Amino acid sequence: MTRTDVDTDVPADAEAHVCSYCGRPFAREKYLVLHRGLAHPDDVSDGERDAYERAYAEEQADIDRFRIVALGVLVVIYFGFLFAYAVFAA
Amino acid sequence: MARRRRLRATLSSLAVATAFAGTAAAHSGSLRGATQESLAVPTWLFLLTGGGAVGASFLLASFVTDRRFVEQLHAWHRSLPTPGRFVTRAARLAAVGVLLSTVAFGFVAPDEQLRNLAILVVWVAWWGGFVASTYLLGNAWPALNPVRALADALPSLDRPYPERLGAWPSVAALLALVWIEVVSPLADDPRLLATVVLVYTLVTVGGAVVVGAERWFTSVDPLSRAFRYYGHVAPIQRTDDGLRLRLPGAALPETAVSGRDEVAFVVALLFVTTYDGFVATGLWATIARTVAGVGVPPTLIYLGAYLGGFVLFLGAFRWAARDARRRAESYLTPEYLARRFAPSLLAIAAGYHLAHNLGSVLLLSPTLVAVATSPLSPPLNPPQLAGLPGWFGGLELAFVLVGHLLAVWVAHATAYDAFPGRLQAVRSQYAVTLVMVLYTMTSLWIVSEPYVPPPFIAT
Ligand SMILES: [Zn+2]
Repeated sequence: MTRTDVDTDVPADAEAHVCSYCGRPFAREKYLVLHRGLAHPDDVSDGERDAYERAYAEEQADIDRFRIVALGVLVVIYFGFLFAYAVFAA
Repeated sequence: MARRRRLRATLSSLAVATAFAGTAAAHSGSLRGATQESLAVPTWLFLLTGGGAVGASFLLASFVTDRRFVEQLHAWHRSLPTPGRFVTRAARLAAVGVLLSTVAFGFVAPDEQLRNLAILVVWVAWWGGFVASTYLLGNAWPALNPVRALADALPSLDRPYPERLGAWPSVAALLALVWIEVVSPLADDPRLLATVVLVYTLVTVGGAVVVGAERWFTSVDPLSRAFRYYGHVAPIQRTDDGLRLRLPGAALPETAVSGRDEVAFVVALLFVTTYDGFVATGLWATIARTVAGVGVPPTLIYLGAYLGGFVLFLGAFRWAARDARRRAESYLTPEYLARRFAPSLLAIAAGYHLAHNLGSVLLLSPTLVAVATSPLSPPLNPPQLAGLPGWFGGLELAFVLVGHLLAVWVAHATAYDAFPGRLQAVRSQYAVTLVMVLYTMTSLWIVSEPYVPPPFIAT
């Protein structure tokens, strides 16, 4: 899709992990690893593919944590409105 | 919208006069009458609920983390038969006929809003009906565009178009057209409407002759650009392999507009509807009268709010794009992110347009048919629908909300495509979601406010 045809701008003092296939820079190595697997699935080496799959699985753990927080916020929104309607809507 | 409400204000008073008092009274209170007051929900809670729905839908969308699912959903398509050359030729010829007769009847038919074919064709059939079809079905404007048909029939000078202008002339032209619509009685005065249509046609044909039709309608003409953008929301998409059926909005994440100028056009498309509604609220009437009280000319007040509001909208969207870059720890430029996320706003603009116009289209379609059958001597009281059921107001609010929900989803899918990390994608959406929540609340507030004639310009 459009994962390689992008405009980027790296701040002067920042470190960049640059994709060797398309030249797109990333702020963290894990983003580069994920990008290689997503944007260049047919070009990556076996090692890069393994790294991508590991990073994807690690990301899943972070996502699970985010989901718990998101679920909590949804519950607060739901009961907040339930309460507000019970009190303020005649 | 001021115009729609003006049309509808006419409708309600007519309906009252012709003993449809019950329905009209239920309806003339506008959306709020139908939905909110019957439930007796305070305004702040009503607005907060709309904003809360958008915020909650962002959280719900963030639960969809399966990249393959998102991609398959957006890649789904079916091929459709393409209409033949004969059909498109006939349709275009008919469109030219409609354009010419609109201008002609605008000048010679009765000088009354609901008895003049020009008013009904432009506002009901074209602005209400056809424009809705560009995002509900697909953009047929390139095939129909009668002004383009006229321009294509003329030779072109093919002078070079100044590339550095980009899409800015279309941004300026869109702002100018809507400005004329807001400050003049364009929905009430058939002669004025016919003049504006004629001037638009002449300017457009002239421009197309100078720089070439293709260039003019791609870069400069605001209507072609607006319908092209609306068409990105639609399920029927035109591709090199013919027509394709896709899910509504599915084409948006792969649609990046090409520069700041095109981002500005998308934001302008959203802003003009908001402005049109905002100047018809009691709050604006108070502000305008107060500022005019200290000696500022009314035109300047309207123009200041118009340009200031547009810059504010543009600023809010650019801020969201910069925040997306920072939170996602991305090296993508804010300009690139603005170009990627701008198309999601089109779903909001479409929902807003439908909410504002569907009612008038339904109420006035019998009028259109009756007047079209005898444009020079239309019935004294052309028929119209007696009224819309009370739940219709709720349906209009639902359109506004569905537009926002689709936009949240599109932004989610776009972020998945733009960022390699899925949490990056979620974090990039915080500011975008905040802006959308504020915008939902603003637009719900506008549509729920009773219509107050804009001071100094109301007719
Ligand atoms: Zn790459």
